Amino acid sequence: MLKVLIPTIMLFPTIWLSSPKWLWTATTAHSLLIALVSLAWLKWTSETGWAASNMYLATDPLSTPLLVLTCWLLPLMILASQNHINPEPISRQRLYITLLASLQTFLIMAFGATEMIMFYIMFEATLIPTLIIITRWGNQTERLNAGTYFLFYTLAGSLPLLVALLLLQQSTGTLSMLILQYSQPLTLQSWGHKIWWAGCLIAFLVKMPLYGVHLWLPKAHVEAPVAGSMVLAAVLLKLGGYGMMRMMVMLDPLSKELAYPFIILALWGIIMTGSICLRQTDLKSLIAYSSVSHMGLVAGGILVQTPWGFTGAIILMIAHGLVSSALFCLANTAYERTHSRTMILARGLQMIFPLTAVWWFVANLANLALPPLPNLMGELMIITTMFNWSPWTITLTGTGTLITAGYSLYLFLMSQRGPAPSHIMGLSPFHTREHLLMVMHLVPVLLLITKPELMWGWCH
Amino acid sequence: MTSRLSRMWPILARVRLSSVLGSRCVSQTPKSNASGAATASDLQPVSPAAQDIHGHAEVSPFEKNPDFHGFHHQDSFVDEWNMRLAFFFGISVAIVIGGTFIHYLPDHGMRQWARREAERLIKQREAYGLPLMTENYYDPSKIILPSSGEE
Repeated sequence: MLKVLIPTIMLFPTIWLSSPKWLWTATTAHSLLIALVSLAWLKWTSETGWAASNMYLATDPLSTPLLVLTCWLLPLMILASQNHINPEPISRQRLYITLLASLQTFLIMAFGATEMIMFYIMFEATLIPTLIIITRWGNQTERLNAGTYFLFYTLAGSLPLLVALLLLQQSTGTLSMLILQYSQPLTLQSWGHKIWWAGCLIAFLVKMPLYGVHLWLPKAHVEAPVAGSMVLAAVLLKLGGYGMMRMMVMLDPLSKELAYPFIILALWGIIMTGSICLRQTDLKSLIAYSSVSHMGLVAGGILVQTPWGFTGAIILMIAHGLVSSALFCLANTAYERTHSRTMILARGLQMIFPLTAVWWFVANLANLALPPLPNLMGELMIITTMFNWSPWTITLTGTGTLITAGYSLYLFLMSQRGPAPSHIMGLSPFHTREHLLMVMHLVPVLLLITKPELMWGWCH
Repeated sequence: MTSRLSRMWPILARVRLSSVLGSRCVSQTPKSNASGAATASDLQPVSPAAQDIHGHAEVSPFEKNPDFHGFHHQDSFVDEWNMRLAFFFGISVAIVIGGTFIHYLPDHGMRQWARREAERLIKQREAYGLPLMTENYYDPSKIILPSSGEE
């Protein structure tokens, strides 16, 4: 753990002491080396799966894929931001990368935390750099509103979580995940306990987001600059899923009944947000709503609490993280050229940018869960486990899959096919950097087809 | 009634609110005395030195540096080396070396061992004629149940 955390903290001296010419080169290389070292976590060292470096920081098969995803994403964020941050003064560029690195540090500590309070503190701490990135470097005036929605939705959900965690500490004497998984099941009968149950989960459901408390997401994703959108879509949403999976261990047997409304909301959300995607004119907004749709499936998979559900949730979180981030990078390439997120302004791109059309194609195929990509494997496991939980869910999940395919096709046809408007001819060619960025997003997704057991969690 | 309407309709359809009111109900900036209708180019003066959001002029960076890789606008040396290092650390080191490391990791979670062990045990038990698996995992005589009828 420390072999990754210390180099991540040492990113701060790298950022502030590099010469302005080599700032981006140095930080890219440094963060890629951190990403390489983070792959060492994937080795399953003990029978239980927990690999604890000390009492407070440990990894297990649930947190390891998410940690590797986080470490992989930092160099991608740096690569993606390099162009649009370039005209700013050098100290502001350093500040931007510092915010990304501090987000990285908090996320590593959040996913590696063994103590629930430390997880909570890091969960909250990630809000601050993200808020600064959205409100300072966003491009439209709506970014202030977006920052407010983002901050207050998450805070409103997480303050009950703090109270719930303190109550749990009071009753069990510990909040260490290593110990709580073996604790006696709690007697949970009264109404107070039911509210406690809700308090434990609301924060993560808002973060995922669950349909109904999802309004912060389209705003935050759209108004954030590309690195902000990438980290939000790829990792911050998964904090919610990860938190839920950790908490579910302790929440039985109340979850059997109390999870019903949330499962239904999640499933309904898949269809509703998928339908909203079909009517979007804003490119980033479409990708943001598709994130809500996929996360609804993840939330449903976690709430039914079966091994297949958990495994499917982890696989879908990793695969969706990479693919959603790839789509946001592609949207940013269109935005940097046309300075608009409106889809009809960036049509017929295949004629002008044929290689990029390949990336659009693969990213959209991954988004609609084409076999043998891990997106499909995760979705299929969740759909199967939900069918086992109740056969009626197949209507909702099946329709959701159909609509997902519909809007992915819509996105591809809208951006790539069709006659290219005349202003497209004058757009600047694609940079090597942008192609590298897309390769580094999509190649891990393709490689995960060959070794999916890295993502199966501890259930199998 | 409908025949009257069908005679009146072509005239009614052409009446615009603006022709009745005498002005268009569209908010417009007041016309400057310099020109007639405002065009897009008047709203944003474009001079050769105009800086767009990327800080470079309207000229594409490929004009100055045909081998622009997207990393550094001003210095082509830094741009090229940034590209080389990003590709090296990103692809050659992280994906290739990292991927090889992951490929050669030992049996993840002992899953393949579990499958082989199960096949071995099945073969062994079939050879000895033993049942493949006993129905009770725990010895039933050791389980103490509360008597039914109590809470």
